Amino acid sequence: MPKVQFLDPNEIRKPGFVEFNPIPVNQYQKTVKDERKNFTDEELKAIYHDMALIREFETMLNLIKTKGEYNGTPYHHPGPAHLSIGQESAAVGMAWTLGVEDFIFGSHRSHGEILAKGMSAIYKLSDEELMKIMEEFFDGSVLNIVQKDFKGTTKELAKRFLVYGTLAEIFARETGFNKGLGGSMHAFFTPFGVYPNNAIVGGSGSIAVGAALYKKVNRKPGLVVANIGDASMSCGPVWEGISFAAMDQFKQLWEGDMKGGLPVIINIMNNQYGMGGQTCGETMGYGIAARIGAGVNPEQMHAEQVDGYNPLAVIDAYKRKRKIIEEKNGPVLLDVLTYRYSGHSPSDASSYRTKEEVEAWQAQDCIMSYGKQLIEAGVAEQSDLDKIQSEIKTLINAMFLKAIDDELSPRMKNTEAIGDMMFSNGSVDSFSDAEPEVLMPLEENPRVQKIAKKERFAFDADGKLFSKMRQFQFRDAVFEAVMDRFYKDASLIAYGEENRDWGGAYAVYNGMTEALPYHRLFNSPISEASIIGTAIGYAMCGGRVIPEIMYCDFIGRAGDEIFNQLPKWQAMSGNVLKMPVVVRVSVGSKYGAQHSQDWTSLVAHIPGIKVCFPVTPYDAKGLMNSALQGTDPVVFFESQRIYDVGEQFHEGGVPKGYYEIPIGEPDVKKEGKDITFLTVGHTLYLALQAAEELEKKYGMSAEVIDARSLVPFNYEKVIDSVKKTGKIIVAGDATARGSFLNDLAANISQLAFDYLDAPVCVLGSRNWITPAHEYESAFFPQPSWFIDMIHERIQPLKGYVPTENMTDAELVRRNKKGI
Amino acid sequence: MATLIIMPRQGQSVETCIISSINKQKGDTVKKGDILFSYETDKASFEEESPVDGTVLEVFYEEDDEVPVLNNMMIIGEPGEDYFDLLGTDSDLSKEDQTESSVKEPETQNTELETQNLSTQAGSQHETFISPRARNLASKEVVDVIPISGSGPKGRIIEKDIQAVLENRPKMTPLAKKIASEEKLQPEIGTGLAGTARSVDLSAPVNPIYAGDYEDKKLSNMRKLIASAMYSSLQNSAQLTHHLGADARRILNLRKKIKADIESGTLTANITINDMVCFAVIKALKKYPNVNSHFLGDSMRLFNKVHLGLAVDTERGLMVPVTKNADDLSIIGLSNQLKEVANACKTGSVNPDILSAEAGSFTVSNLGNYGVEMFTPVINLPQSAILGVNTIVPRPKDLGGGVYGFVPYIGLSLTYDHRALDGGEATRFLKQVALEIENLEIEY
Repeated sequence: MPKVQFLDPNEIRKPGFVEFNPIPVNQYQKTVKDERKNFTDEELKAIYHDMALIREFETMLNLIKTKGEYNGTPYHHPGPAHLSIGQESAAVGMAWTLGVEDFIFGSHRSHGEILAKGMSAIYKLSDEELMKIMEEFFDGSVLNIVQKDFKGTTKELAKRFLVYGTLAEIFARETGFNKGLGGSMHAFFTPFGVYPNNAIVGGSGSIAVGAALYKKVNRKPGLVVANIGDASMSCGPVWEGISFAAMDQFKQLWEGDMKGGLPVIINIMNNQYGMGGQTCGETMGYGIAARIGAGVNPEQMHAEQVDGYNPLAVIDAYKRKRKIIEEKNGPVLLDVLTYRYSGHSPSDASSYRTKEEVEAWQAQDCIMSYGKQLIEAGVAEQSDLDKIQSEIKTLINAMFLKAIDDELSPRMKNTEAIGDMMFSNGSVDSFSDAEPEVLMPLEENPRVQKIAKKERFAFDADGKLFSKMRQFQFRDAVFEAVMDRFYKDASLIAYGEENRDWGGAYAVYNGMTEALPYHRLFNSPISEASIIGTAIGYAMCGGRVIPEIMYCDFIGRAGDEIFNQLPKWQAMSGNVLKMPVVVRVSVGSKYGAQHSQDWTSLVAHIPGIKVCFPVTPYDAKGLMNSALQGTDPVVFFESQRIYDVGEQFHEGGVPKGYYEIPIGEPDVKKEGKDITFLTVGHTLYLALQAAEELEKKYGMSAEVIDARSLVPFNYEKVIDSVKKTGKIIVAGDATARGSFLNDLAANISQLAFDYLDAPVCVLGSRNWITPAHEYESAFFPQPSWFIDMIHERIQPLKGYVPTENMTDAELVRRNKKGI
Repeated sequence: MATLIIMPRQGQSVETCIISSINKQKGDTVKKGDILFSYETDKASFEEESPVDGTVLEVFYEEDDEVPVLNNMMIIGEPGEDYFDLLGTDSDLSKEDQTESSVKEPETQNTELETQNLSTQAGSQHETFISPRARNLASKEVVDVIPISGSGPKGRIIEKDIQAVLENRPKMTPLAKKIASEEKLQPEIGTGLAGTARSVDLSAPVNPIYAGDYEDKKLSNMRKLIASAMYSSLQNSAQLTHHLGADARRILNLRKKIKADIESGTLTANITINDMVCFAVIKALKKYPNVNSHFLGDSMRLFNKVHLGLAVDTERGLMVPVTKNADDLSIIGLSNQLKEVANACKTGSVNPDILSAEAGSFTVSNLGNYGVEMFTPVINLPQSAILGVNTIVPRPKDLGGGVYGFVPYIGLSLTYDHRALDGGEATRFLKQVALEIENLEIEY
């Protein structure tokens, strides 16, 4: 809600019409003959070559999947192979004009795009650059394999490198482009501008937009192409990515050289099927996919459909669209019409289409008809084309033999290495060499000045609490850490709902709007998939980013992004990529069933994400600093109940300077000897209340440990405590069933079994909807619940009358009922 | 010809016996009728007499061993006699032929024995739960957990229960702990530094008040069994006792008549007051089938017949032999049967099967002879109730017309398991017993 934009009712309420411009459909109808002046003969033949290369590559994969052999060499490939036979012209046309610095993102059906963009980069890079890339990649280990006994040119060598690296990746070899950890649907090679392909339909729809955001914010050359299928146009996250890319603020609010649209092309590889669903006529309603652009922004995304069966048509479109991007008029939507003869996958019997249909498209096959044009135009003889074909067959066969050779292309010997790749565990001050762009010196910032007057420890010398207003609060601690990084790392950006002007829904970012230009702190659409998806793309390209989810409950809206994308890419890339994304997630209360859930467990369940949940200012600042110094994805949970809490534990209060608290170290907040409470999140404060009552009324002294982080988690302190006390309650606000609390409990039971005086008890919320605030005490763990649990399950307390039913029978009954 | 003595099988349910003492060792000469060894089942104690004169050639087990019934115990014969062919097929080999297989044989037996030992132990353990932490502490500090009553949820023994024991016990030196653990001893006082218990405190306990004026006598197995059964009964049921008196004039008169008839020779059976009370109890049980029952936790087992247990005091301790189908018996039959089983208990020749609590459906314990006026008998679980019979005392009674006189009353104390029976029904049953006593008709 920028104040500079006045919503004038007199203007807005005027009558009128929304007008559309015609969207071009297959307007380009030229052939090789018409384009000879724009291409050299070598280039025209190279287009043929690249298409033929892709065709043979995928034919080889098809034969392996369906016949178990290629050229008489048997091989078994149990993994996926989603082929694009028939679509080669679309891939080559898309990639032909792209520079090395232009990035492409793809789908599960992107072998062709990898080869097309790879070849495009090979043509454009000098021999020296190519050699440097190949020598530096995994210390030249891939190069050594393809260089052995090879005497050709550097470009030919690079082609072998490209084909081999891709194929070895598909075959899960350690020598693949991503150490065999990505595989067919995720292979990529960033030095050639090939960014991750994505096995989730439409997955690249928001990630590619984030890559474009990276290029824009960090002033990097090049544009970004999102190669996604026609069927993905129904996916919410794709729409969210498009909406994000088309935000008015880029053109209306961002300032200086930042003003203007995102350099992104949504390239629909329109093969007219989504698996077996026919998009036009069955599963979609757009008629022609390019129509979508008309609904997005006044520029209609410069949308058009081009005949992707003709590589020249696609090349022509890209030449024209590049200009639009360079004029900062992105985003662009291209609907590249094509057709695949191969099934969705080798198991697809094509029962959803007729033989006649396939044959009709085959009769106009893109490679065959382009070859004819070359001959007709006198660019090449049939014999030239045959020679190209035969050289390709020789090359593919040679690379195939190398890729399946267990000596040359071994599988990972020690699979424990996969574990080592889950996190990069880096420590990086800044991901940019540039000077961080800020609008004022930090010390002049009004928020900073206000904070300077606050008490950094909650209690005065007499142990009395300062008033809330005078305490340095939790929200100040997060602010300090984030602000510090904004002034250190020029690549750092933050966005989410109401992040600018409003200062974040909970005032954490108050004072930042004044300090940071639009392109470093801005409001996003209310669409979590785009918030997280774009952040992933941003980080993949090398930037640090803090996307914000306003309520934990909205994580579901970014389910694929948080569960499938964010955690996976570091390991799936073979550690080529880093993922410095710190997702701030606010955990609510008081707002009922869809705004009050602690979903830390869901995130902790997914391997590859670090999970923090600090509840004191000291911990919040220290952990946020660690998260922002690191290179791994961190989901940083903050409880809305305690944004105003001061530091009550760390002696001397929250340090003014920079410090880090290692992620994964729980902290003893109160020492005790008779029982241990291990808490996750805000429950710490309730556990402390319980501890006080326990001590006063029952003479039991409780040790209270704050988990602080969920992943990673160092059990040593907790086990030491349990060895001392013999009893433990693991507590948190998550609904108990299936929560991470049970994970903690199970591990503690195993690690401290012989020291236990009672079963490890789990105290979570009831397995209900979160009711209205007025009923929350019946839902979330209360201090009395701790004592009830001790009395019923750990050590009966003399004269105690429990309020909650925590008997065995009740536990069984609730589970029996599923509540 | 040597004679093989085996461990007799005392009853269908008995699988092993524990040797309480071996009276004749290898090399001793014995006469027919000499006691060779004594042994116990979980219900009773027995003695085995020598069937022949001779010399003990071999003793296969030691005291306290648990011996499977029908296993070889001893060989009696002439010194130097070859008795190997007595030892069954496996030992058929001559001495010269004793090869590996025959050497192995005892090992196998030992293993079996150990297994049986284990299973017996496991089976006889109560369901006492103890936390790993408490168990470790108890084991480290050598605390016997059996007598501890746990204060944790569902009676689980937890750390603080062990700590409570430790607080009431002197600290122990490492050696004392080791010996205590091996010999299952507990220190009474500590004579070492700062009151630490040393090993000598275990072996020769000195009590500051009583000095050496007592001895610690190990419990017999019988005693242990009774202890555990009684303790378990009180731990695991909801017992309470109702007391009620019955006008005893009728049975005293009957007793007088019986004595007279015996003297005159018209009656041989000495029908006692106890016999008559038991007869009355059986009649009452037939009217209150719920009392003639076992309580099994989630069900009641109601018996069609009355299997009456009668508590018998013996030298070895309390025994409760059961008279099966007691409701089929006449007063004379009942009188004879009760005496017979009681005598069998006293002489040690009782069939252990009738000693089990499961064999009886109701029990009578009579302390009247000893002048006890009121007591709370302990139920023989899983039975639902037990009747205590007290002495006869004169009590004032309204004889009608405002005249009070002293009338002999016999005291009845019914302990019942409140889980099985409610107070009303128990009281009505007890009143019925009194009515049966007051109106007893016997024929002989």
